[in-house]
Amino acid sequence: MNSTARFSYCAMCAGAFVLAATGIGVFALGKAPMTHWVLMAHVAAAPVFALGLAAVALTWSGPGRSGSGGAGRMGWAATVLLWVILVCGLVVILSGVVPMTPLLGTGGQRMLYLTHRYAGIVLAAAILLHLPLRRRG
Amino acid sequence: MRSWIGAKSWTKEGRPPKFFALVLEEEFNARGKASPKGMRSFLLAALILSLAAAQAEDLRTESRQPFLHNIPLHDTQGRVISLPDLFSEEGKPQEPKAAPYSPAQTCGKCHDYGVVGQGWHFNEALGNVKPGRPGEPWILTDPATHTQIPLSYRGWAGTFKPSELGLSDFDFLTNFARHFPGGGIGEPAKIDSADPKMGRMQITGTMEIDCLICHQSTGQYNHEARLTALKGQDFRWTPTIAAGLGVFASFRSAGSIADQWHPGKAVPSTLPSIRYDRSKFDADNNVMFEVTRRPAPANCYYCHTSQTALDDARWHSDLDVHLRAGMICVDCHRNGLDHQIVRGYEGESKDRAVTDAMIDLRERIIRRDDAMIDSADARKLARRQLDAELGMIDSLTCRGCHESGRLGSPRLIHKGLPPIHLEKLTCTACHSGPSPGPEPEFVHTSLAHKLGLPAPARGKNTAPIILQPVFLRGSDGKIAPCRMVWPSYWARRKDGKLTPLLPAEVAKAADLPKQESDDVPRDPYNTKPLTDAQIQKALESLPDDASKGEAVFVAAGKMFRLDKGKLVSEEDPAARPYSWAVAHDVRPARQALGAKGCADCHSEDSPIYFATVLARGPIEPAKGLHKEAWELRGDDKTWAESFAFTFHFRPLLKCIVFGAALIVLAVLAHYGLRGVGAITAAVSAKKPLP
Repeated sequence: MNSTARFSYCAMCAGAFVLAATGIGVFALGKAPMTHWVLMAHVAAAPVFALGLAAVALTWSGPGRSGSGGAGRMGWAATVLLWVILVCGLVVILSGVVPMTPLLGTGGQRMLYLTHRYAGIVLAAAILLHLPLRRRG
Repeated sequence: MRSWIGAKSWTKEGRPPKFFALVLEEEFNARGKASPKGMRSFLLAALILSLAAAQAEDLRTESRQPFLHNIPLHDTQGRVISLPDLFSEEGKPQEPKAAPYSPAQTCGKCHDYGVVGQGWHFNEALGNVKPGRPGEPWILTDPATHTQIPLSYRGWAGTFKPSELGLSDFDFLTNFARHFPGGGIGEPAKIDSADPKMGRMQITGTMEIDCLICHQSTGQYNHEARLTALKGQDFRWTPTIAAGLGVFASFRSAGSIADQWHPGKAVPSTLPSIRYDRSKFDADNNVMFEVTRRPAPANCYYCHTSQTALDDARWHSDLDVHLRAGMICVDCHRNGLDHQIVRGYEGESKDRAVTDAMIDLRERIIRRDDAMIDSADARKLARRQLDAELGMIDSLTCRGCHESGRLGSPRLIHKGLPPIHLEKLTCTACHSGPSPGPEPEFVHTSLAHKLGLPAPARGKNTAPIILQPVFLRGSDGKIAPCRMVWPSYWARRKDGKLTPLLPAEVAKAADLPKQESDDVPRDPYNTKPLTDAQIQKALESLPDDASKGEAVFVAAGKMFRLDKGKLVSEEDPAARPYSWAVAHDVRPARQALGAKGCADCHSEDSPIYFATVLARGPIEPAKGLHKEAWELRGDDKTWAESFAFTFHFRPLLKCIVFGAALIVLAVLAHYGLRGVGAITAAVSAKKPLP
């Protein structure tokens, strides 16, 4: 695995950590939705995560595929988790940014908000599980 | 919708109604005289009709067509007002003089006056009503002494109860009857004849609810004539004069008669009478009242006008979008017979109490429809029904109506607006009042500035100075546009507590600058601000009184006092402004805050955060307190500025995130398609096509 792939993964994890701490943290403490500084931190971490995820998609998806070389040391569980991360990451990104556009009304925005929340929880869990598995065979 | 039939009691009226007059006339015409048989028929018919008439008071039309209110007038004693014939038996012309009509007795014949009196417009001093969301106060204003004190019987924080200032209910009426519809404090349950002020009501009469102020539909209710009558303290006569039913038959007002009367003495018998307009009465002494259950906005505007375009710019205003769409005020601000008008704010149903009067009325209806139910059960059922009906109030709020689609209201869409805004802001924050600018605007209101009554042109510095919109957080935690007024008064301070001095007391004792008479035409409201030297001189002139405390002056958010002979000013809780929510005029969606984008609110100069609110009062503006909107709300300026600053990067954020999403999507699509290709290849390899 090259340094770009490692850096991408680190960036994604760092972004995801801040997002989870602010987003899921506030939700878990029963103070959702986020406001003030917490919201600003969440939004600030979003592009880091998004760019990291995109880079991971480019650098890890090849090695992540079963039976391929390179980082082929990942087992099937890590591979599945990687795909889960990519899919959930995409959902989280889109459900986070689409409300900033005049595409959907209040009902649609609420649906996206819930989608963002629960996809984010799955994403955080997938990253947590993927971290120890990513180098195991 | 129910219309009540007016009762026309033959026995009370003192002479037969037209139908019986015709029967009698026919009998006479046929026989030349009233025969015993004819008289018997007549008496029998009269008896039946009398019984029917006695029951008529409980009759209703039950139609959506309004009942024709061609009804007899009753005086305060309940007697039918019957005009003398044009000529006496001696052939002398007779003046149509009679006692004034009583709305309580006239309208109350069919509409339960006691229940009506529980209404929001009349109940402020009853003490059995929750105060609800703070609303517009009465403001005791006196330009000569630079006094403006928000008053309310409801105990809203930041207002004074009249009694706290030493104002009696009678004093309150003399100050504010011009826009007070009667009832409540205008009709004390018992008049204390020993009370030098309230005792006057034995002569001036009580101030009954004048139903026609709101319910006349002709537009001919004369507020100016009403004011003239009220100035003479002719409370009992005012409804008759304002309705244009007649004029005073004498020049002496009840107030002037009361001036020469002393508590404990007998009430003079020579009180004013009304010279009625005969053309208003038909042959049966009935008067046609053109009334409506649904008053036109023009009627509401007498008390509920607010004017922001003060510089001959009224034509700039588009008015409320609902009125422009053809609605009227009472489409949303509804009420039943109890006149508990829906104020229309969210959470109002929690502030509403089901009163005994409401239960009484409902019990009567329940027992009318179910003869088997006893009173106790009917009352329980009535309370349950009324509690359940409180939910109806919620459906008449902005949100309630626009979520349910009542009256064809457009559904809430709010494209591109994150839902958190609906939790943090009231609907009015974006949709009501004038579009906010860097500073709030001056606003005049009917109650504060006597709008609706002729007076010299009012300017922006005409007291009381009220500003809008100031974005404040309400008790529900939501930001709402508000009107704001800073109290201004001379007071005594003792143990940290301020007791305002009434203008009359200040005028006597304080050495205040007298307005030059030449200056009066130019500045009829004495708006020239007080200088520090003038304030100091006035404070020095107020006599020391150790028992009442030191003299202070409160204005523009500060308290001025003398410290070792030197004038000092400081912020004080007593100088804090009073504010109340703005609800109208509602702007259409395309003119709402946010319609042009997030920067309407999330920018470094957005009014909702950074408008400068300059406390206004009778001192030089620079001497008053000034704060920004965030500060008034107790928000964090650093956060507000930082958050606004981040919106510069919002387009970049969107580009980055959308770009990243596109890459991830492309990767997923790429491998997804490759996977599909592999599957189809594998399937093809196993089962080659023929």
